[in-house]
Amino acid sequence: MLLGAVIFLPLAGALVAAFLPAGEARQHRGWALFVSLLTFAVSLALWAGFDASPGAPEFQFETRARWIPAAGIGYHVGLDGVALLLVMLTTALTPVVILSAFTVSDRVKEFMVALLFLETAMIGTFAALDLVLFYVFWEAILVPMYLLIGVWGSQNRVYATVKFFLYTFAASVLMLVAILYVQAHAGGSFDYLAARDGLRVTPAAQGWLFLAFALAFAVKVPMFPLHTWLPDAHTEAPTAGSVILAGVLLKMGTFGFFRYAMPLFPDAALAWRPAVAALAAVGIVYGALMCLVQTDMKRLVAYSSVSHLGFVMLGLMAITAEGLTGGVYQMLNHGISTGSLFLLVGMLYERRHTRLIAEYGGVAKQVPWLATAFVVVTLSSIGLPGTNGFVGEFLILAGTWLGRMPGAQVLAAVGASGVILGAVYMLWLVERVFFGPIAREENRRLPDLSLREALVIAPMLLLIVVMGLVPQPFLAPAKPAVDRLVLRMQQADQRRSPGRPTVGRQPPALAAGGAPAGALAAAPGAGSR
Amino acid sequence: MTPDGSPVTQPLLWALILLPLAGAAVNGFFGRRLGKPNVALIAVGVMAGAFAVALAGFLQVMGGVTLRTAPDLWFRVAGPDGRGLSVSFGLLFDRLGAVMSLVVTGVGSLIHLYSTSYMEHEDDFGYARFFTYLNLFVAAMMTLVLGDGLAPTFMGWEGVGLASYLLIGFWYTDPQKAYCGRKAFVTNRIGDFGFLIGFFAVLSLFGTASYGELAQLAARVQPQQIVASGPFQGWTVQAALTLATLGFFVGCAGKSAQLPLYVWLPDAMAGPTPVSALIHAATMVTAGVYLVARTSFLFAMAPAAMAVVTVVGAATALFSALIAFAQNDIKKVLAYSTVSQLGFMFVGVGSGAYYAGVLHLVTHAFFKACLFLGAGSVMHGMADDTDVRNMGGLGRRMPHTRWTFLVATLAITGVVPLSGFFSKDAILAGALFAHNRMSEAYPWVGPTAYALGTLAAAGTAFYMMRLYALTFSGEPRTAAARRAHESSPVMWGPLAVLAVLSAVGLVLGLPGEGPWAEVFRRFTDPTFAPALRRLSVGAAAHHAAWPFLVAWVVALVSGGLGWAMYAGPLREVPRRFAEALPRLHRFAVDKFRVDELYDAMLVRPLAAVSRLLWRAGDAFLIDRVLVDGTARAAEAFARIFRTLQNGDVQRYAAVMAVAVAAILWTALGRGGP
Repeated sequence: MLLGAVIFLPLAGALVAAFLPAGEARQHRGWALFVSLLTFAVSLALWAGFDASPGAPEFQFETRARWIPAAGIGYHVGLDGVALLLVMLTTALTPVVILSAFTVSDRVKEFMVALLFLETAMIGTFAALDLVLFYVFWEAILVPMYLLIGVWGSQNRVYATVKFFLYTFAASVLMLVAILYVQAHAGGSFDYLAARDGLRVTPAAQGWLFLAFALAFAVKVPMFPLHTWLPDAHTEAPTAGSVILAGVLLKMGTFGFFRYAMPLFPDAALAWRPAVAALAAVGIVYGALMCLVQTDMKRLVAYSSVSHLGFVMLGLMAITAEGLTGGVYQMLNHGISTGSLFLLVGMLYERRHTRLIAEYGGVAKQVPWLATAFVVVTLSSIGLPGTNGFVGEFLILAGTWLGRMPGAQVLAAVGASGVILGAVYMLWLVERVFFGPIAREENRRLPDLSLREALVIAPMLLLIVVMGLVPQPFLAPAKPAVDRLVLRMQQADQRRSPGRPTVGRQPPALAAGGAPAGALAAAPGAGSR
Repeated sequence: MTPDGSPVTQPLLWALILLPLAGAAVNGFFGRRLGKPNVALIAVGVMAGAFAVALAGFLQVMGGVTLRTAPDLWFRVAGPDGRGLSVSFGLLFDRLGAVMSLVVTGVGSLIHLYSTSYMEHEDDFGYARFFTYLNLFVAAMMTLVLGDGLAPTFMGWEGVGLASYLLIGFWYTDPQKAYCGRKAFVTNRIGDFGFLIGFFAVLSLFGTASYGELAQLAARVQPQQIVASGPFQGWTVQAALTLATLGFFVGCAGKSAQLPLYVWLPDAMAGPTPVSALIHAATMVTAGVYLVARTSFLFAMAPAAMAVVTVVGAATALFSALIAFAQNDIKKVLAYSTVSQLGFMFVGVGSGAYYAGVLHLVTHAFFKACLFLGAGSVMHGMADDTDVRNMGGLGRRMPHTRWTFLVATLAITGVVPLSGFFSKDAILAGALFAHNRMSEAYPWVGPTAYALGTLAAAGTAFYMMRLYALTFSGEPRTAAARRAHESSPVMWGPLAVLAVLSAVGLVLGLPGEGPWAEVFRRFTDPTFAPALRRLSVGAAAHHAAWPFLVAWVVALVSGGLGWAMYAGPLREVPRRFAEALPRLHRFAVDKFRVDELYDAMLVRPLAAVSRLLWRAGDAFLIDRVLVDGTARAAEAFARIFRTLQNGDVQRYAAVMAVAVAAILWTALGRGGP
């Protein structure tokens, strides 16, 4: 019930808003903020009530209800730790986004209704445990997002929003076909658990199913070379749309790999792993190189997402506890740091109405607090220790290096080179926007952060530091789900190549007495928690 | 790693990090409103407090104990089998840590004090910002040197890089200075890539990153042992550790400005001069030397890596000394000198003379901080001019600056009886007479390093005397030089303290026998005992007296030559030399055009590749051809099929008739008689 409340509170709020008079813009802003804050408050109960101990049930806050029993479709929701983290990310980010969107003055009612509707769809996507329900939420996101970009976007918005819609929709339809096939071969039910545990298909069919799911997810991530909708969508979207897109929507793709593509089709996932991991590593470097030549701030940040999500995918493909956990953590980090970047770029845009980097320069003198916030977010984005970004990148790269995937060390090294390039393009962006002399007269009159803007960005900065220094509370919920996935993949791995494991972590060769577990248990750091 | 007594838990160690951090926080958030005197009080106060804590800790360590804090968990991820990666965060205050802490907080306090006067021309905001960054730097540096494992060290390592970036670009409205800050950060990141690879390699071998556990585990394995599992399966331990330690050394080459990553340090002089003194001379840039010393027990199992460290250090020492010959910016000369002296330190820690490398780190912190602060005092008197060609004769107008500068110059030159002589000679003699596993495997390394190092020492004496002569002796060459004035006591006071330290620092390195001999070596040897045990090949190293004499003669002759050519009878020689070999002279003035080489080899190709990938790959092939092409193909298909439903009833009827005929034909053809 609690989970149901979190999922549908925003929708209920949107329905109420639909009956409120459209002319009262302030009222709509306040109402949407109130609803999203309420949702966040209720979701804190999920956070507090989640049990991450080893014996706890896999999915918690479960609700089952009949929906379309004739077709085997049910309303089934529940959260594992990873879904919980992403739900929390969504509920925390939405009020921030709504507060940042107080500057929207055109069709405020519709804007806020779209955002609230979007929140329900996003939470539902993470919470769904029925394949059709999942698909419904997954596709429901396209509608408000399509409108956000198409109605409130900038000049080239129609091209961008149609491209976004068709690209993601076309890929998702293949997933729908695969879902139908799964249902037919898993006892006639669309239930996730039934499908996962009861799917009986030939290896060839599993390969095709994996590809169909993976394609839908890879477009959403987006993985190289399926990424070109992202820069367009980001560039044309209003700030709120960009933040939601980067903050939550892209994670639906990586979450999809974690929840669906890998555990449903483990053998096929292992077969395709080298290709996916290689594309992830290519994406890290490729995205970073694209950032080096962008002239538009939002386009640059969008390409940086390609690079960062490459890290996430690399961590997932490592299939070690470290890599998977790091991947999950990096999903949160990217939501926070890239979300913040879009917020800050949006604040600059509202002041100068341009996204071109060359239009700025030297504005740190005028907006020192905005510049400070931007630098802190940049540090998170480039993974400086002490910020959240480091924990994620470190776990991913270490998890890859320590894993058994063939060529893991090379992939880790390629990924680590992305750390260099990240510093290059982000610091260059900071330099071109904030440092140097003020070249344009208009920039001499820029006001610094307003109180509202400070309230928007402060929670993000707080999260960046807290998650960098005290990451354990945010890592712990993911453990049961990560462990289950590792075990599942290990079983498949043993089927595929008995005696030559390719998943899991390699034990350290020179640890005390050849018994690494003992060595770590003796480590002072290991037992102190 | 506590061979000299059991560790004592001392939570007060955190004060060494938290005091400067608190100073940074207060000044960062409220400094603008507090006013300059309060900002200065807070910044200097926390430094003095940290120094007092370091001193108290040092006294305890002298008594034979090692201080530490209980390691706190930073993050831990374990797999389903309970095995996993655990990254903890604790502090270790052993003899090496004590020495580093004293240098950082001691020299740091003096430089903070100096800065209160040096930076007073800044507005309130800039003043607070400066001390925020400076305190932040100290907090990060203390994390680096006190961290009890690779993880906290790396955190400090990146933290000092951040502080360095912020302080080099402190006057960010100047695009050149902002660029220099970024160049420093990015070059360091290239080094960090190596650090990370080394980090992962160590993790995959030992499963821990804590120095204490690593030392214990490393002591139990033999270099020739074959690694049984993991990424290094089938390698020898020695080979695997060679890769790991070379990774670390790439990081060190970035942070400590060695070939080929030294290029950021001369540009780092864009920062305010106290920053150059504290970060880019005395402390941060020595972090690489510290890391090699700290992980000496791993390097000791990888003789090839030690050889690389030694040779790179020696080559850097000579290379940058040569560049320093022709520089005219007082800070640039000192910067190349710093690169060169760091090279000496690496020769020390690379060839197994660990104490000598660290001793030179300490004495260099004294005299180079003194030189930089002296340069700052000169700039203050000269209205921020840094070109030595515009100076001359400043000695009479700035007596305090002059005498302290002279003492420090003689110390770095290696003139007896100042501190630099013994520390530098200990390194060169240590390399030449190295008698350990590294020198057995690579016998040519020690003599090569000795030869390169001696040439570099000669170069040091020459360019430092040149610098001193051009700045302080002779007649003023410009009006600004005639108007130059001495700085305030708050500025020359620290200079005097550092000059005294540069002189008396020699007691740390006295050779020979007796209670005052080799104080520093005896003090630090317990820290390096695991490495020394590993390197030992039996008979003790023999020493001879002649390198001392050679070093002394070299310093005197070369220094005298420098004096003669820039303040004495040979004053015409440099000009004639430049006229006789204009291209060589130009090449030297242009710093051997290494920046241009990197630009042509790396920076521009990278940009070109990115642009090509973007235009041809991303925008054209992927987006235009594949994505939009798919859309257009769909449209074209649609247009073809549209003709089938264009509303023409007659055509519909015709198609229907044909279809009916076809169906009938098939049905009848199959079922008919």
